[in-house]
Amino acid sequence: MAYRQVSSKSGGALSWFLQRVTGVVLLFVMIGHYLLMHYNIDSGHTYSAVLSRMQNPFYKGLQMTFVVVGIYHGINGTWSVVRDFKLKKSVSWTIYALLVISGVVFGLIGITTLMSF
Amino acid sequence: MELTVRIQRYDPEKDSAPHFEDYKLDNVNKTDRILDLLNRIKWEIDGGLTYRRSCTHGICGSDAVKINGRNRLACSVLVQDLKISKSRIQIEPIPALPLQKDLLVDMSSFFEKYEIVKPYLIPKDAPPERERYQSNEDAELLFESAKCIHCGSCSTSCPSLWVNENYIGPAAFLKAYRFIFDTRDDATAERLDLIDSADGLWRCHTIFNCVEACPKEIDITWHISQLKKAALSREI
Repeated sequence: MAYRQVSSKSGGALSWFLQRVTGVVLLFVMIGHYLLMHYNIDSGHTYSAVLSRMQNPFYKGLQMTFVVVGIYHGINGTWSVVRDFKLKKSVSWTIYALLVISGVVFGLIGITTLMSF
Repeated sequence: MELTVRIQRYDPEKDSAPHFEDYKLDNVNKTDRILDLLNRIKWEIDGGLTYRRSCTHGICGSDAVKINGRNRLACSVLVQDLKISKSRIQIEPIPALPLQKDLLVDMSSFFEKYEIVKPYLIPKDAPPERERYQSNEDAELLFESAKCIHCGSCSTSCPSLWVNENYIGPAAFLKAYRFIFDTRDDATAERLDLIDSADGLWRCHTIFNCVEACPKEIDITWHISQLKKAALSREI
């Protein structure tokens, strides 16, 4: 096997770093989410309770962060796994395109849902 | 004691695929090295058994094999070091490299990757009259990485290499560290460019197989993490 040297342009330092940062953010946001939504009966799960909670700009911002950070972490993590394999360029680009498109679509669904409240 | 040594055999001229063969040895001492067992089999039972060995004292790194599922040096592991069930030990070639015969693998790609990180000092200045000075503190940064004997145990134990033969691998990263953190060297950017690549540093997922496999007990993952920090600090 002859070693194929690749350029530094396609490295991945920044995406590696952001994966760790978003991981830490998600850990705290998810703990908060579980404590508030699943272990606190007073939070309320009726439509009106959710509606009034969503009027709080801090809470809405937190959910927005959850959507954006969660989707980035998921898509970037999946892409990182895909990059571990030696795939044909066409296959790799197809998977990359599908991941980006699904990220944008899910992101838009999440944000428009939050904005509708 | 009696011991059965199960060895993966493969003769490319006769066999279509590797297979295992059992060899029964008597009078095995607990303090025998695995290399001693291989030598006994070769000298007393089957002269065709093929494996590498040279110094036989854990310095040359040529006899790395997979013993009971783990990459180790045959000359550095004693029978008493192994957990032996049913009086049997299993020896296979190190994985992820092309198999040539029995326990012999083609190490070419391993050394190609080693060479790609330029494993030599690249200073900017002309050689001084005496030595290039280095403080004890600076030298200490390199001592652990310089212990590497290039046996290939680390790289071939890495799952990232198993799925991508182009992955540069821990051994080459360790050598890159050896020179990137050498205060006498001036090719840091050049070396970081080589390893900050699609098949480079970022394919390391800190699995620690390399650390577990290293016969010299080098904390390779820590050294790779220092390289990651150096590569990242160029971008942020």
